[in-house]
Amino acid sequence: MSGRRALVAAALAVVALALVAYPAIGTGYGVRATLQVFMWIALAGSWNLISGLTGYVSFGHVAFFGVGAYTGAILVATAGWPWPLAALAGGLAAIVLAVLIGYPCLRLKGPYFAIAMLGLNEVLRALVSYFEGLTGGGNGLSLPTADTTRSVYYLMGLLAMAVTAGTYLIVTSRFGLRLMTIREDEVAAEAMGIDAFHHKLAAFLLSAAGPGIAGALMARDQGYIEPISVFPLAITVTMIVMVLFGGKGTVWGPVVGAVALFVIQELVWARYPYVHPLLFGAIIVAVVLLMPRGVLGLLQTRYRLPRTI
Amino acid sequence: MAILTVENVRKSFGGVNAVNGVSLALESGRIYGLIGPNGSGKTTLFNCITGLERLDGGRVTLRQERIDRLKPSAIARRGVGRTFQVIRVFPELTALENLLVVTRGPRAEAERRGREMLRFVKLEPLADEYAGNLSYGQQKLVEFVRVLMTDPALILLDEPAAGVNRTLLNDLLAAVARLRDEGRTILLVEHDMKVVMGLCETVFVLDHGDKIAEGPPGVIQADERVIEAYFGR
Repeated sequence: MSGRRALVAAALAVVALALVAYPAIGTGYGVRATLQVFMWIALAGSWNLISGLTGYVSFGHVAFFGVGAYTGAILVATAGWPWPLAALAGGLAAIVLAVLIGYPCLRLKGPYFAIAMLGLNEVLRALVSYFEGLTGGGNGLSLPTADTTRSVYYLMGLLAMAVTAGTYLIVTSRFGLRLMTIREDEVAAEAMGIDAFHHKLAAFLLSAAGPGIAGALMARDQGYIEPISVFPLAITVTMIVMVLFGGKGTVWGPVVGAVALFVIQELVWARYPYVHPLLFGAIIVAVVLLMPRGVLGLLQTRYRLPRTI
Repeated sequence: MAILTVENVRKSFGGVNAVNGVSLALESGRIYGLIGPNGSGKTTLFNCITGLERLDGGRVTLRQERIDRLKPSAIARRGVGRTFQVIRVFPELTALENLLVVTRGPRAEAERRGREMLRFVKLEPLADEYAGNLSYGQQKLVEFVRVLMTDPALILLDEPAAGVNRTLLNDLLAAVARLRDEGRTILLVEHDMKVVMGLCETVFVLDHGDKIAEGPPGVIQADERVIEAYFGR
């Protein structure tokens, strides 16, 4: 292992140890805030897999979060499943949905795919509201009371780590490079023998699993869900902004974006509650105009940093 | 035996007949030229062969298998490689990565072969440079060797000489001849008549979507219809 890689590995190990120890020494607010950061890392990292790597912008990724949340909540509340198992089932449900939606929608190009995904989220929200016998409809669904914050913290942390490690493995593989060729020039990729549709589908499935599990974990942590709390467009917009800010198509961009924007959001939220929605709009405009490749993308090209940042 | 057969292929865009019932047959281990004035349908015919355009009529057969209903990637995997008139490298991938994406099998072997290919076109020092930062001619060469990485039996080259300096062009043409000697078939679209006449064994001429001539370069040069298509009456 080279000196620089050893240093990076050591730094990551220190951060990981600190995060493992944090619930024992941190405040309740601090633990909950860190859990939220883990969730945003998992969501932004997952969105990055399909949209950052292939260039297919999904405006409906929160649909997987919502489906995971409802799957997990229903299994815990009505079938009595252990919640960690229900969380995995939430990820599985999101993958199944991704297969069903991916087959028709990934044949659409660019903006048509984005609009189709937006529509998917609205349809799911309506369906969940309609089937109130199963989902509780607009009244929502309550889970049995349990103090699981610390366990959810660790599992969400593991999920964030798994998504980031998965992104690293993908970006450094030929599969990842092929996903990027779709973003760069799908026609040329096809002409070179790269089956664009099945590569996109594989990326889409991978990108659905994380939000599905995260949704189920959040449902357990909050103890109550309703359609507007797990299917809001704002969640998709937030993951997009985080990835754009950190650097789309990079390994650490979603992490940087999630941490930076969550901290900024918390600070602004606390002091200027009415201004904070404006902040995200301003960040989107600033990023698109000033650094379309995001913070890490900019550093990558300017300082010739490796693809693995 | 023909490796590729194009039979009565038709393709139109709106009211324009881009390819109008063209037929041709390519045999293994030969170099063919496809020429014609601008807008004569050369690139559209390439797109029809490689699956990027759906045919309005006719059929394309590769080694006796009909391929005109296959996806472009499936056609490529059957051994049809191509370059484009307007370069289509992947700009945010490095020169080496541009070659790696089309490979299968062990990565170390693919990297070794990729570097060998880049060395062949004198681009190995730029292996880790983003392809988008390379010059036009260098990108053209990356695109050329990327096709070779797929180990194709049939190679379609769309204006390989355009934008490549004379020294590299000679190397490139020598490489094309060597590919022919290895038993591969090459069909090239080229406006540089010196290249076409010096390299190709058979030349097809298109004009307004119709095939108006086919034969050895010497015969084509003297063909009345070809002269008329290029220079008018």
